[in-house]
Amino acid sequence: MNLPVPGLHARPTPPAPPAAAAVDLVKAYGRGEAAVRALDGVTLTIPAGRFTAIMGPSGSGKSTLMHCLAGLDSPSSGQVFLGGTDITRLGDAALTRVRRDRVGFVFQSFNLLPQLTAEQNIDLPARLANRRPDPGWRASLIDLLGLANRLGHRPSELSGGQQQRVAVARALLGRPEVVFADEPTGNLDTTSGHELLSLLRTSVHELGQSVVMVTHDAVAAAFADGVVLLRDGRLAGSVTDTRPEVILDALTSLSGVR
Amino acid sequence: MIALALRLLRLGGRRAWTSAGLVGAGVAVATTLLAISVGALHGLDERESRTGWRTPAEAATGTDPVALLRLRTDFAAGRPITQVDLVAPVAGATPPPGLPRMPAPGEVWVSPALAELMGTLPAGDLAARYPGPATGLVGDAGLQSPDELVAVIGRPAGDPVLLAKGGSDVVPVAAFDRTGDGVSTADLYRQLTIVAVALVVFPVAGLLGASARLSAARRSERLATLRLLGASTRQVTVVAVAEVTAVATVAAVVGVVLEAVLSPLVALIPLAGSGWFAADVRPGFLPCLAIVVGVALLATASAVGGLRQVVVGPRGVARRQRPQGARGLRLLGVAAALVVLLVVNSALPVVSVDAAGVVFVLVILAMVGAVALIGPLVVRVVGTRMAARARSVPGLLAGRRLLDDPKGAFRPLAGLTLAVFVAGFLAPMTAAVAGVSSVDATTLQVTAPPSEVAGLVQTTRARLAAIGLPATVSTVGDTVAVLPRDPAGLDRARTVLDGLAPGSVAQTEAEARHEDTVLTADLGRGALVVLVATFLVAATATGTAAAARVLDHRHTLRLLTLAGTPLAVLDRARRAETVRPLLVNGAIALVLGLFCASPFVAATAALRPSGLLTLGGVLVAGTALVLAATAASRPLLRSVTAPDQERSR
Repeated sequence: MNLPVPGLHARPTPPAPPAAAAVDLVKAYGRGEAAVRALDGVTLTIPAGRFTAIMGPSGSGKSTLMHCLAGLDSPSSGQVFLGGTDITRLGDAALTRVRRDRVGFVFQSFNLLPQLTAEQNIDLPARLANRRPDPGWRASLIDLLGLANRLGHRPSELSGGQQQRVAVARALLGRPEVVFADEPTGNLDTTSGHELLSLLRTSVHELGQSVVMVTHDAVAAAFADGVVLLRDGRLAGSVTDTRPEVILDALTSLSGVR
Repeated sequence: MIALALRLLRLGGRRAWTSAGLVGAGVAVATTLLAISVGALHGLDERESRTGWRTPAEAATGTDPVALLRLRTDFAAGRPITQVDLVAPVAGATPPPGLPRMPAPGEVWVSPALAELMGTLPAGDLAARYPGPATGLVGDAGLQSPDELVAVIGRPAGDPVLLAKGGSDVVPVAAFDRTGDGVSTADLYRQLTIVAVALVVFPVAGLLGASARLSAARRSERLATLRLLGASTRQVTVVAVAEVTAVATVAAVVGVVLEAVLSPLVALIPLAGSGWFAADVRPGFLPCLAIVVGVALLATASAVGGLRQVVVGPRGVARRQRPQGARGLRLLGVAAALVVLLVVNSALPVVSVDAAGVVFVLVILAMVGAVALIGPLVVRVVGTRMAARARSVPGLLAGRRLLDDPKGAFRPLAGLTLAVFVAGFLAPMTAAVAGVSSVDATTLQVTAPPSEVAGLVQTTRARLAAIGLPATVSTVGDTVAVLPRDPAGLDRARTVLDGLAPGSVAQTEAEARHEDTVLTADLGRGALVVLVATFLVAATATGTAAAARVLDHRHTLRLLTLAGTPLAVLDRARRAETVRPLLVNGAIALVLGLFCASPFVAATAALRPSGLLTLGGVLVAGTALVLAATAASRPLLRSVTAPDQERSR
């Protein structure tokens, strides 16, 4: 599946600016004594045109970090840049436009609308934005994701892997600056999970897409180009050699008592 | 966008159908009532346009009138007969509507209903009052309603009816082209109808708002996904509102069609003393369209209003901010509402009848606002007491939940509280209607010129004796009173008097008050209809809001269940948190309602047996409805708290 796809050309990678960045990001819940800092001063950059995994034990703040990066959650302090835009300064309407035009989402629970067919689900963000998707791009995406003969089906008539591929097509159709994936293989069996991860990697390497994935699975993270490790709301290192055993080692040392 | 919204909202599951059906039924019933009200207004106009010729404008001096007209109200078998005497009618002149030609002197034209009555009653009771047998029938074009009793009689010039007392003055008529006299009772009915519509509209708006909230709560994850994909707040609102608007629009069409279908039956309901031609009570196409559009707009507006407290974010549907407590500041609003009431109350006698209805709607608006403002405050107070004194788990749970979110807890109660307000407003009226003291209905009274009173008494006694009708004949001033020993002889005695003093008005006290009696009866009937409609709509709203509240709190409820709280305890807590605040709120609303009614009837009228009966019924029905509404959402509670509960879509 991760072969070069004829007819698809890599987008020219924007040279300098990273896809996303966080500066001294803090997210606290509660107040005073009882305050919990889910993110405690995280600074990092997500390079463009790369597949980045965010890992960490439960409660490390990896989901909160992704939500803040994607503009789904507002940090208590610090800044989040998407492309060159500081999205922490944006109001609801502007954030909505950012979600619609500049990022794509793939979630563990697929988040497809059960009333719409696969095709309608794929086109939904474009329809919400009142845009006509680029037909050539759309056709090659559908072809790449192997959805051509599933377009008329409702999500309930599709397997988990197929549903998640519909979600990926939906995320990629608008050529977003970043695709955020939150445990995308969490609800899939091993085979379709690996298939999906290969597709995500293809989208990065062949199509120049930037992808950020949150996962707790070292094998899934092994599909990425680099892994960022989180612990207790703080950055706890990164891994560039993405062999599963290396990642596992790093994770294990992370969980150990300091 | 709308098409997408409707596709997303395609109903699924029996629960969705049930709730849509309930809302639809509530709106359809309300729309039918609205259409009937508008139809009644239309009918009143139509009636007026067909009967205007009987109260013509006076011909200018110097022009030749086509006839002299005199109007009087006669009675037979307890029913009023409109008698139109045309003196010296000009043959060949344009006749009044419903007549083929100008009646010649001595001719008697009667309405079909009067012809029938003349056929059933003995001649001495009715037919003998007229100069001859019926010449022909008055057509529909000249009649108020199919059951109206009308006689149009041609009289020669100089006929003694010209001089008779009672009845209207003799008017020289230029032409019978008048389509309304401008001073009819229709104006009063128009104002009353506006008030009735206002009373029904608020509970309907509450229902629509509640159903929008339920619609959003049920689809919270779907709406969140849309937000995630970049749908704006406005787009999501469109989706959430679309269902309510669609259901309400369909229901409004159903309601209007239902009114048209029912119009022959509606036409049988007497208003202002008579029934209707079925076509009169059908509002016509444009008003019907206006009703449907109006209901759709109301639905959209209330639905948007219902969603105001809800924010649909990309990560789920949440209540806006933290639910705020109900602050004492609200009392200021209530005080303002009372000031409005007092000002309007003192201004009411000055305001013309035309504006009275509209002015009164302002009062209702102020009172509705007061009820809505005070409600959460009362809930908070009740919650504090319950939580402080609770001896049982359900009591404690209920008290805490009331305190946590007084506004949310009041929402299911709002509709019924308003309904109780309406009941408080209408109960004294219905009681006043039932309480109309019995007036004399057996003694005929005739006013005669003073010089003729003695003679009239003499001849009356002689004539009554001659036909064998024993009666007491007496005089009070220039009034002659005739009391037949057998009440069944009333109409025969009247016929005798009519013959002796042609054109005079002989009627009992009860008959003289006939119009008032009709008005009070209409008021009572209308009040009852409004009351029943309000309660039905309020019950639907309560059920809907209760269901939305279960969905809003599903996480808490589920945690309580997982922690081992039995469903029965949750249920008891839910009952406690609704019934007690309702009783307190209801009592306040009742007082406000009585207060509101005070410009019309003394509030003490509600203490009459029939008033107490209405109020007691309202209280029992209200409590029962709340319990039923809470019970209706029990299956939802069970499914929300079920351990294997899948994320509800």
